[in-house]
Amino acid sequence: MLDLQSLTVGYRNTRGAVLSGIDVSAAPGDFVCILGRNGSGKSTLMRTIAGLQAALDGAALLDGEDIASMRPATRARRIAVVLTERQFNPGLRVDDVIALARQPFTGWQGGLADDDRGAIADAVAVTGVEPFLRRFFSDLSDGERQRVMIARALAQTPHLMILDEITAFLDLPSRVEIMAMLRDQAREKEQIVLLSSHDLDLSLQLADSVWLLDDAGGFSVGTPDELSRSGALGGAFDSGAIRFSPERGRFEIGTAESLAGETPDS
Amino acid sequence: MSARVSTSTAVLIAALAALALLTLTYGQIALPLADTLGALTGTQSTDLARQIVLDIRLPRVAAAIIAGGALGMAGVLMQALFRNPVADAWSLGLLAGGQLGVALTVTAAAFAGPAAVSFLTLFEGPSITLAAAVGVAIAALAMLAVGRRVGAITLLVIGLMLGFTSQGLTSVLLHFAARAGGRIYGGWQDASFAGVAPEALPWLALPILLGACAAVATAKSLSSLLLGETYARSLGVRVTALRHAVLAATVLLVAPVVAFCGPVSFVGLIAPHFARALAGTARILPLLPLAALGGALLALSGDAIIHAPWEQHFLHLNAILAIVGAPVVILILIFSPAVRQWR
Repeated sequence: MLDLQSLTVGYRNTRGAVLSGIDVSAAPGDFVCILGRNGSGKSTLMRTIAGLQAALDGAALLDGEDIASMRPATRARRIAVVLTERQFNPGLRVDDVIALARQPFTGWQGGLADDDRGAIADAVAVTGVEPFLRRFFSDLSDGERQRVMIARALAQTPHLMILDEITAFLDLPSRVEIMAMLRDQAREKEQIVLLSSHDLDLSLQLADSVWLLDDAGGFSVGTPDELSRSGALGGAFDSGAIRFSPERGRFEIGTAESLAGETPDS
Repeated sequence: MSARVSTSTAVLIAALAALALLTLTYGQIALPLADTLGALTGTQSTDLARQIVLDIRLPRVAAAIIAGGALGMAGVLMQALFRNPVADAWSLGLLAGGQLGVALTVTAAAFAGPAAVSFLTLFEGPSITLAAAVGVAIAALAMLAVGRRVGAITLLVIGLMLGFTSQGLTSVLLHFAARAGGRIYGGWQDASFAGVAPEALPWLALPILLGACAAVATAKSLSSLLLGETYARSLGVRVTALRHAVLAATVLLVAPVVAFCGPVSFVGLIAPHFARALAGTARILPLLPLAALGGALLALSGDAIIHAPWEQHFLHLNAILAIVGAPVVILILIFSPAVRQWR
């Protein structure tokens, strides 16, 4: 169970709080999509929940324990992340990258036991990275790297998986495949998956629950249906060029007439 | 440990033992293998053989193995810490920094008077090593600070420049120190394993042994750091503490080498690449023994070449290491998949 208790995230500099007083929870098996425009605070929120950045106020609790005050080794056994930043050592091969996910579970030498190998084999199988296990990570295409990083996070067998913009470099079939796979994994392994994405259509079709961030620091939670009916989705994303259509449940590119109709005053 | 790593380790140990034995037998005076072995084991041998092997050649061979091994391990640590495939104690100016530390200490003692010089001479091993350690640590901290702002190749150039600056200062300082009567470390600006006296060997070996233990202890966390700082933190690594520990290990490994053998070039840069190719992984722990053995083998090979029975003693260690090492570095920069990202 993940509980955010009046969590305020942001920076202790002039940028200040990005999102304030968030109260929300997610149950094991939930596939949660975090949606919002660039700069709405998705990454900040995810980094804070992952314990990689200090909260300004409030707390994020995983199974009743405050994530920020967990010992780093304990946290690493329960939370896995896939982030947008990639600053890898170029000597790493793909199998090394995935095997490093088991570091929180291994002894001081980092040697792999049978259950470690099992977790790695499972992750490799469901992500389909088998063909490039022996290649250098830095030689892979962006899409292949994303698959490897997802395999690495799965191999960490976490209670909570936090994935930031993972589908950005994938083609449409791969996006569908990866997101559906993550949802199935969440249900099967009773993991909570938090995933941020710009892929609205797909997220709305797959998510059990959506956390919606608008540009003004507003935060709404609900099932895709609830959010589209309440108009929250439109509020967060509508612009001159795109409009959410609650009837059709998807975004539509604004035509000249619809834009004129929306802004009669101008 | 994988079969690949243990097989490679065994082969390297055998090669190193064979090369060490060869180096002990030949030189200006060639000794039969039986006499050399006899001198080593303390059984039948001539006095001359015993003297040559135990007093002259063995300390040199031991110093080459220990120093080469230390530089190889330090190279593994630094390449991971700086995320830079051409980082090592020599290329990033740590060795030169250590020399400068020693030069400053010697100069200060020379100007302070004969008492300071004799004190320094009395505790030559530890005091020179300590002075080198301070210099190495300062150079390493400076490079870490710079490394956050520049790319891998820029860092290499800056490291080499810092090294030239330090070496220039060292030579000027030692000139004045010699004038003022502190001629302790003349002729040490070139790298050599021949200057290590038998009684100095423990002072060379002990910090390196500690450094090796520290390297092994940090190996697992350092492997996580290969994924970058944030991922390392997500895997439970305390990154700042790890950086300090790796830095301490590097100083322990490198400082005695500077103090006793001078600026041994290229060994620490090449050995880790060699180790990665053999191990088929970039994880730190399997690389450490392989890089240590590879570094020892490279250093001892260089030493063996300059101590071959030439007409006269004319070769310098760094000349040999540069002839072999510089082209290897060029090949690494051009062809290594590990550097491709930065080309």
